[in-house]
Amino acid sequence: MIHAKILNITFALAMAVPAAVFAQDRPEITIAVDNLWETMDPVIGISTSGARVHYNVFDTLIARNRWEDPDGATLVPQLATKWERKTPMIWEFTLREGVKFHDGHVMDAEDVAFSMSEERLWGDKPLAPRGKRYAANIIRVEATGPLTVEVELDIADPTFPNRLATPLGFVLPEHYYTEVGTDAFGQMPMGTGPYKVVSFDPSTELTAVAFDDYWNGPVPAESLNFRIVPEFSTRFAGLVSGEFDIIVSIPADQVEQVDNAEGVSVMSKGIENYPMFAFNMLDDDETIPNNPLTDPNLRKAMVSAIDRDAIVQALWGDSTFVPTPFNFPEYGDYFDPDRKRAYPFDPERAKELLAASDYDGEELEWHITRGFYPNYEIAAEFMIEQWRDVGINVKMTIVDNFSLAYERPFHMLNMSMSSDFSGDPWRPLWLDWGPNSSRVTAKHKTYVPTDKFLELGDKFVKAQDFESRKAAYLELVAEWEDITPGMYLWRNVVSYGVRDGLDWDPGNSAVTIFDNRFLKVQ
Amino acid sequence: MISYIGLRLIRAVVTLLITITLVFIFIRFSGDPAAALAPPDAPQEVIDQYREALGLDKPLWSQYTAYLGQLLQGDFGYSVHTGLPSVQVFLARLPSTLFLGGTALAVALAAGLPLGAIAALNRGKPIDRLVMGFSVFAFALPNFLFGLVIILIGALVFQTYIGSNPDSFLDVVFPALTLGLASMGAFARFARSSLLETINAPFMVAAEARGIGRTRRLLRHAVPNASIPLVTLIGLSLGGLIAGSIVTEQVFGWPGVGQLLVRSVATRDIATVQFIVLAVAVTMILANLIVDLLYLVIDPRIRSK
Repeated sequence: MIHAKILNITFALAMAVPAAVFAQDRPEITIAVDNLWETMDPVIGISTSGARVHYNVFDTLIARNRWEDPDGATLVPQLATKWERKTPMIWEFTLREGVKFHDGHVMDAEDVAFSMSEERLWGDKPLAPRGKRYAANIIRVEATGPLTVEVELDIADPTFPNRLATPLGFVLPEHYYTEVGTDAFGQMPMGTGPYKVVSFDPSTELTAVAFDDYWNGPVPAESLNFRIVPEFSTRFAGLVSGEFDIIVSIPADQVEQVDNAEGVSVMSKGIENYPMFAFNMLDDDETIPNNPLTDPNLRKAMVSAIDRDAIVQALWGDSTFVPTPFNFPEYGDYFDPDRKRAYPFDPERAKELLAASDYDGEELEWHITRGFYPNYEIAAEFMIEQWRDVGINVKMTIVDNFSLAYERPFHMLNMSMSSDFSGDPWRPLWLDWGPNSSRVTAKHKTYVPTDKFLELGDKFVKAQDFESRKAAYLELVAEWEDITPGMYLWRNVVSYGVRDGLDWDPGNSAVTIFDNRFLKVQ
Repeated sequence: MISYIGLRLIRAVVTLLITITLVFIFIRFSGDPAAALAPPDAPQEVIDQYREALGLDKPLWSQYTAYLGQLLQGDFGYSVHTGLPSVQVFLARLPSTLFLGGTALAVALAAGLPLGAIAALNRGKPIDRLVMGFSVFAFALPNFLFGLVIILIGALVFQTYIGSNPDSFLDVVFPALTLGLASMGAFARFARSSLLETINAPFMVAAEARGIGRTRRLLRHAVPNASIPLVTLIGLSLGGLIAGSIVTEQVFGWPGVGQLLVRSVATRDIATVQFIVLAVAVTMILANLIVDLLYLVIDPRIRSK
């Protein structure tokens, strides 16, 4: 009897040892961030500073495989194990069985239906208004079984599953969310992700510990501590001294300094965001009578006058590139590395186009939001000089936030465009420049699409198979370049400082994920 | 005396009202808070929904009267981001700021006043020049620079991370030194000049002529008279405890009210900004009021007026 007891205890201890050793071996990772979004509701808090946390706490229904392909061009099952297009407008998702939220509650179809519901994301007064953009075209979300959900759209969108790898696809626990309410949920979020939030102070730090009931294998770190350190030099000092394991947002001109420090290295990643500017080409803008930018020759001259490749090389070295419009590597088969820009750097052509325009040298005002895009203001200085060389007079006005930048009058407006969303150029090309985009409808609108652009856009949206969609996309891009409503500058770059010995790679993304696919523990 | 106090109370209320009004106006004209909540490329519909939710779609005047009405009822509003009462958000950060500011003030007083006194008592001697040289240096050195230099020396030379844990007394030393250095210089200079002025006053000569000993002359006659301008300076420092450490908190990542204010301004968290500024204004006004009242205690000439 006693022997049996001892045997049982010995066996229990033996079984417990590997887990204990593993738990002890797991690192506690401290990430010094410049900011944390004030709420961790993964839709209300859509932002770079929020997303660094979201993907560790929540899971999406579908994921982009960035651990094998940094650009994540392929979709893989996550909380949904399969998806099927039942009719052109109805999609059915089958959910993974036995997935637990951090309180042990098992996820089911009702949680998914709630997470994508009209009440939360796309109704008249949704709990998370920012979700509307992601949930565009959804007209019904319904749990049709314990582990099946149907989503109905008002358009036939073959790319819809891609959207479920965005914040639209995050699954929240309905029971907990409805019990505590939107605000409280944002302060103490709960998901199915590899880490469970244990404390969150939006002005200080967020701590999350390993969730060992995670559905997707062992969690590699014991805990994650996202600590706000606003000043870069302090983040750098913390990294060098070993206080932090990772730091984010290294200014472009400090990358070399960090890389040269002992015991740390810099990881620079091109991300799916492209800084640019838009021309205000409206002819009915009362704040700019006789707007010279209504003339396409002037816009094309301005694009042709800029040597973007040289500017990007000078500012970024080889860490990024100048994109041909809407031709982004993250679009898999849509990406054509050989496609050329319609208006490359050509000062002679710029002068010819300028001569063909009615421009008489008046000052063009360019509104820029201070510090929002790394290196943007420096690039603007180069560009203003190059425009001056061909006879175009541009003045930049730097303001503190976007709402000030949006205040008219302005001839040019800074902005950036994200390329994620649909896995193809739908978002940057059609959602961002189409008839319902902020560029066309908002108070800071900058242009009116041509009839041809609308016609080609309609063709692109309706195309269902890859070949016809790609052909329509190329026609639409050609029309966009012919209109020239703006100019892309480069693919945005984020830089991380990482202590030596930490085997972590987030892929080409500003999102930091620390599950066992991105973080390897020896 | 009653009119002296009454006048200062009225002045305090008017100052408070002006502060409240200016903050209310400036935060609304320095960028749309609704736009700060929405992503840069959000459709107008989303921005409008936020405007409605925040009450920003109403005329400015009606927003202002509603705000004043709420203030009178003790309702200081809620953070637009967290949904928490702005008072609660502020109070959560206050202890660490007071800890930092209080330590800095204590360091500044403990070092600055004796240094000033030593300089005054050794006027013209090398030690006087040394103390004054130090106080000019301390006052002129930007605290963000001093803080960054300390942090980088700690990391690159000693492999030690300095600062940002408000629970540790050791961690407060360098941020407090950074924050208190300028005040230390100012206290030393003020203490010196004030003491010198008093030491050379006719009543001090008279006291010496009456045969009063040096120590008694200094402590009973010189120090009380020299303390009047110092009380003003200390009062201002007390008033600045809450908002005086913004730069230091940013540099050291110290989780206090200063950092909260910077974030709240950047994210247009109206209620939080308004409450912090209100709290700073009230503290400053109260500190001034207390200083004015202290004059009554330490300066009989004001009492007699």
